[in-house]
This record gives sequence, structure tokens and C-alpha cells, in this order.
Amino acid sequence: MAFFEQHIHSEPKTFLSKYVFSFDHKVIGKQFLWYGILFLGIGGIMALMIRWTLAFPGQAFPVIGNLLFPETGGVVPPDTYAMLFTMHGTIMIFYAITPILIGAFGNFLIPLQIGARDMVFPLLNMLSFWLAFISGVILMASLCIPLGAAAGGWTSYPTLSTLIGSPGAGQTLWTLALFILGISSTMGAVNYITTIIVLRAPGMGYFDMPLAVWGLGLTAILNAIFLPVLGAGLLLLIFDRVFGTTFFLAGAAATSGTGDPILFQHVFWIFGHPEVYILILPAWGITSDLLSFFARKPAFGAKATALAMTSITILSTVVYGHHMYTTQMSPLLTQSFMTLTMTISIPSAIFFANWLGTLWKGSIKFPTPMVFSLGVVFVFGLGGLTGLYLATVTTDLYLHDTYFVVGHFHYTMAASVLLGGYAAIYFWMPKMFGKMLNETLGHIHFWLTFIGLNGVFMGMMIVGYAGMHRRLYNPFVYDFLERLIPLNTFVTYSALLMGVAQFFFVANFIHTVFFKKEKATDNPWEVGTLEWTVPSPAPVYNFKEIPVVKCGPHEFGNPNLTGDRDYQFQTEELV
Amino acid sequence: MGFITPILSASTARAASTTMSLWESMKPPEDISVHGNLIDWLFGYTTYMNIFFFALVCAGLFGFSWFYRASKHPKAYYTYGNKKIHVIVATIIGLSVFIGIDMNITRMSNDDYVGVFANWPTEKENPVKIQALGQQWAWHFRYAGKDNLFNTEDDVVQLNDLRLPIGRKVVIQVLSKDVIHSLYFPNARRKVDAIPGRLTRLWFQPTKAGNWDIACAEMCGTYHYRMKAHLTTYSQEDYAAWLAEAGEKALQENDIENPELFWGWKWQW
Repeated sequence: MAFFEQHIHSEPKTFLSKYVFSFDHKVIGKQFLWYGILFLGIGGIMALMIRWTLAFPGQAFPVIGNLLFPETGGVVPPDTYAMLFTMHGTIMIFYAITPILIGAFGNFLIPLQIGARDMVFPLLNMLSFWLAFISGVILMASLCIPLGAAAGGWTSYPTLSTLIGSPGAGQTLWTLALFILGISSTMGAVNYITTIIVLRAPGMGYFDMPLAVWGLGLTAILNAIFLPVLGAGLLLLIFDRVFGTTFFLAGAAATSGTGDPILFQHVFWIFGHPEVYILILPAWGITSDLLSFFARKPAFGAKATALAMTSITILSTVVYGHHMYTTQMSPLLTQSFMTLTMTISIPSAIFFANWLGTLWKGSIKFPTPMVFSLGVVFVFGLGGLTGLYLATVTTDLYLHDTYFVVGHFHYTMAASVLLGGYAAIYFWMPKMFGKMLNETLGHIHFWLTFIGLNGVFMGMMIVGYAGMHRRLYNPFVYDFLERLIPLNTFVTYSALLMGVAQFFFVANFIHTVFFKKEKATDNPWEVGTLEWTVPSPAPVYNFKEIPVVKCGPHEFGNPNLTGDRDYQFQTEELV
Repeated sequence: MGFITPILSASTARAASTTMSLWESMKPPEDISVHGNLIDWLFGYTTYMNIFFFALVCAGLFGFSWFYRASKHPKAYYTYGNKKIHVIVATIIGLSVFIGIDMNITRMSNDDYVGVFANWPTEKENPVKIQALGQQWAWHFRYAGKDNLFNTEDDVVQLNDLRLPIGRKVVIQVLSKDVIHSLYFPNARRKVDAIPGRLTRLWFQPTKAGNWDIACAEMCGTYHYRMKAHLTTYSQEDYAAWLAEAGEKALQENDIENPELFWGWKWQW
């Protein structure tokens, strides 16, 4: 595809065109960042309420409990509990992680790292954010209506999510909000893919792109293919709820017609399994880059890492059946899905080897982005390996729908992506806002978060293995779960620790963005990718002259280098 | 103060469960089925393999971070990691994970599933036959009664109360009336979804007499956590005595005019 050069935009003058309805990918990225951090906070408080209820059933939630649930004296009521875990899952996946990694960093990094002046479709980009905004408003509004928000779990399986199980409008609004968000993300995805294909700077082959762009690009491909599948399922669900169709109704529950509730599970997981990789691929890409940047040596086997990520992208589309073992599959299907799922571990093992290979014989520095990246390697190692228990059908018969699953997917989706997102925020802060975050607060933030999250998610896996199943308002009505009260209390204290840790980040972030005077240099981390060749914060037009790329993104420690630099910019000829 | 009371109550709760050590409480509930040990064994095996590989990751992660920190190792080794030896090492790691754990546990799990868990007892083996119906928020269990036919007037129908003999295979066919539930026997390491309009089944063979919990594992509404049933396992003689008594009672008390009673279906082998 031929390269073309975008002309330089004129600088927006009014407040509205500069900060609100902006076409600039950097501003849209920041909008997504604020949006994501806001929802991360909301989802996090919901998580704490869930944990509080599990550890201290029947006791008032401290501080804000009385305000939120006055009729029960501050205790989370059972129906609200169901809404809380439904909204926690939905918000964290679709409204916190997706906007931060894909919305914010996808937008911010792709043009800057491939040497473009903006996304290829700036209007579509702006529309993508504002649709996400509308979707967020609808989702939050659903909390305030009679009968409350959706309460069928983030998977919202019919027939629970049809009128039989959830008569309120909350479930309809949830479905609608996700449908709109799907449109928004599809718009973003189309934009990202096209931008990567047509706007790479002259001289930049696909393997000269930083691995972050690889991760974001592969995510965009998955988004573009699979969000429409979710959209189709959600649309049918809306039909069932609003127009009286029976796509997902069957048996005694159906008034007429013979739909099948399992159909929704197929549609949902065809999307749902790639969704896991949609969330994690950008974090992998960012981690692969940062490990190389701070080990001061080229990314070990960068090509293999990129190809491994690509093969995982492809494999992720054919393994969804492992979410449905307990719906009673034929052994023929379980065999196929089990084997296909296991195949994913080959590319995973390869890029784990490459990550460790990057560290091997490096000259490693440990600023905040690096410790977060190392954290990703640790938690994703745990998350990936514990997936094996759930991929094998027999252990899954026992572990399915227990807290083991909850612990496992939080390790892969929440812990790794959260740490990856923080690594990205700490690392690109100077390019986004022109200022550096405080390193000491950053390290405190990392260690508290890291200890807290391991306590939470490891604790969840242990109680899950001990038999505690998911989504229970009060697990201790079961005799065999009474012994797990101390462990659940431990998990909740870990979650509180993790919650407290985020205050260090919020304080650091707010102070840096609004109050810190000290400007960052253009290239504080001494890295050679294209975004570090422009001033901090990046100007509206990004690049005055479109750069010409002459070498790869990870040129560190070349022995032929003279002078006091140990890295090369991508615009320089390899020495 | 709100912060402190839970701590106090947690410590009283802890005092109440001191009979069990922390290590004991982290284990799955007591196994009462013939084949539950297969699942426990595979879990243990996978855990040992995982610990081995995760230890390798940690050794690399922490070891390299320590030995190659910038203050000790100022000059990085310049390599793209594309030498023949690097590619070979990465491939060996990938394949050893794949063959060493993955294909290994896949084969074992598949053998177990095909050979045991999906190897349904046949009519000849004369298993105990149960029909289970989930509804918001209770489990109904149906025994065929004297005529050995389901959905007839002599059926024994139990609410949230399942009684089974030890030493015999038990097949349970499961259906749901409204939303998706999941029939979960923690002590037998088994669960299966109860789906409206689609019959699923599960079998196991109890080995120990006693009282156990049955749960619903799939989110099914606000009172999902209350959807709890009780499992009593009897010796064969006790079971026969109980079933005879319950059968008598059913014949006297079953109201054949009540269509609600006949939610059962023809048994499908």
C-alpha cells in the first residue's frame, strides 16, 4: 500500500474544538484515558463492595454504605449485590480496560509510533469516543431506574437475561449500552487497522513497528471481526426482550416457539474468548517493548514475538468451546477444543522465553514502567498456567463456575492488563502531558498494588479450589464453605490494600497533570522510537517533517555506537 | 468504628473454625465418589508441572533482574536473539511446555472423560435413575417409584432433598424450568448445567454414607446463593428402607389431579 502524507492540521482555537470535539488523536486518547480511569474507579469501588459482602456478610459497608443503601442500614442487599458484580465485570472489561489500553494508548501511540500526523479517519475517531461516552451514560443511568441495573452477570446468559429472569429495563439498557459500545470499538478498530496499513512512515516495514503497535493492531483486527458477532447476539437479545421473539427461549419457559438459550452462549463466547486477547494483546506488546527499552538491549526474538502474538490471535478464534464444557458437549467436541486450547501455550511459551531472553545479559534499570512490566510477566505467567486446569475438561467439571475461574481470569485479564496499563501510563506520561510522574509514589503504588492483587487473586483461586462457587451473596449458607470465612476475609483485606494503593496513583496523576511545573525533556527514557523524536508533549501535527525510518525500534547497546548514547533513533542509519 | 467491628467478628469466626487447620481448609471438600480422585489427581499433577515451569519463569525474572541490573552489568549484550542457538532454545521451551504438560494432561483428561465421566451407565448396569428439575430457586428430584416408570403417580418427588445409596451408579437427568442453573455436587467433583429445553445428564457413584451439600453453580437470579439442596447418602439397606417408605407415602399423598406434579419426562437412555 502506498504511503501518503497527511497535511498539517491548523491548530484548534476554541475550547470546544480543542478539548471536547477534537479530531486530534492525542486529545481523543486523553479523553479515553480520563474516561477509563473514571470507570476504573467506579468498578473498583464496586469490587470492594462485593468483597466486603463476602468477608463480612450482613455488616454495613463503611463510609458510603449508609448513603447508598439507606433502607438496609448500609448493608449491600442481595439484589444489589447481583447488580454490583454484573456492573463490575461489564465496567472493568468494556469501560475501563478497553478505553485505557485500546482507546487511550491505541489512539495515542499508533500514529506517533508509526510516524503519522493523525489517524487516517479523524472524524470516525471522534465519533468513536462520543459513542463510547453515550454508552457509558446509558450504562450509568441504568443504575438509577426502578428495579435497578442488569443483574445477570457480565455474561448475561439467557434465559436469565430475558424477561423471564430480569423484568426490569436495566437489562435492556445494559444490552443497548454494550451494543453502542461495540459500534464505537468497531469504528476505532477499522481506523487503527487502516492507519497501520497506509500511514506507516516511509521505510517502516511491519517488523520495524514497535511491538506495542503490533499488539494494538492485532487487537484491532480481533475487535473488527468479533465485536459484530457480539452485536448480533445482543441485538437478538434486545428482540427477545422488547419485541417478544424467542431466539433464546425454550422449554417450559417459552410461551411459543423453540429457541435455544445455548445459542447465546455460542455467540457470546465466539466473541468472548477473543475478547480476552483483545484486552491482553496491547499489554503484551507494551510489555515486550518496555522490557527491551529498560534492559537496554534489542527485544530478544522480536520477529518471533510478533509472529507468536499473531498466531495467538488466530488460535483465539477457535477455542471458545472451553467456556461451555458443563453444558454437556460431546467428547468429540471437548477433545477438539481441549487440544486447540492447549496449542495456545506454544506461542505463549515462545514469547515468555523471548521476554526472559530480553532481560538476559541486559543492563537493567528499574524505573516505575519497568517494574510494572516485570509485574506483567509474573502475573501473566501465573494466569496463563492456571488456565490449564480450566482447559482440561475433567478438572473444569469441578472448577467451572467456582472462584478458581474468577481468580484465573483476573490474573490474565485484570492483573496483567492493569499492570500493563499502568506501565504505559507511567512511560508515556511525558509525551502525553509533558511531565513526569513521581517515581517514589510510582514504586509505592506498584508494590502495594502487586502485593494486594496477588493476595486477592491467589486467594480467589484457593477458595475456588476449595469448592466455593461464584456470584454468591452469602457463600456461608453452605456447610462446606463455612471453613472459608478466614480466607475470604484475607482476600478482602488484600483488596482493600489494592484499593488504598490506587490513591497513590490518583494523587500522583492529578498532581502531575494539573499542578506540577517541572517539564519533562523530549526523550527522558532515552528510547529511539519515533514518538521520542518529537517535543514533549507532542505537538498537534506530531511530525513537522514525516520521518524516514532506517532501523528497528529496539536499537540499544550497539557496540559500534560512538559517543555517550547507547541507543539509536529509528530515523538513523544502523551503525 | 465501622472498620473495626468486622475485624472483631472475623476473629470470632476464626475461633469457631479452629478445629480445621488453614491447610486443611484450603483443600476441596471430602471426596465421596468413586472417580472424584481422578479429578483431584489431575489437578495435583498439573499443579506440580505448573510449579516447575513457573519456577523457571521466576528464576529468569528475578535472577536476570538481579544479576544484570545496570549498576552491576553496565554494558548490555547486543543481540537480536535470532542466532541459531537462541531459536533452538526458544523452540525447545515451547515444545517442552506443549508436550511436557499440555498434551500430557490433555491425553489424561480425555481418557478420563471418554472412559469415565461421559461413559454413561447402561440399562444393564441398573443404575439409580433420578430426574432433576431446577427452578428459581430450588431443586426438585424425582424417583421412578415402584413401576420403574417416570412421570407416573407413584413417583417419589423430593424438594431440595436428594437421597442416594452408596455402591451403586447414579444417573441424573437434569432440566430447568426457567433460567439456566447448574447442578453442583462439590463432594463428587461434578457439575452439569440445567438448561431449559435441553436435557443434560451426569453420573457418579457415591462411596460414603453421610450428609452433604448440593449447590447451584450458575448465576440464576437474586437468590442464587439460596439455591441449596441436601444430599443424604445411605447404605444400600437404609436406602431400600427409605425408598419403600417414601414410595408408600407418595402413593397416598400424590395428588394425581395436580398437573404441576407431572413435570417429569420419559427416561432416555
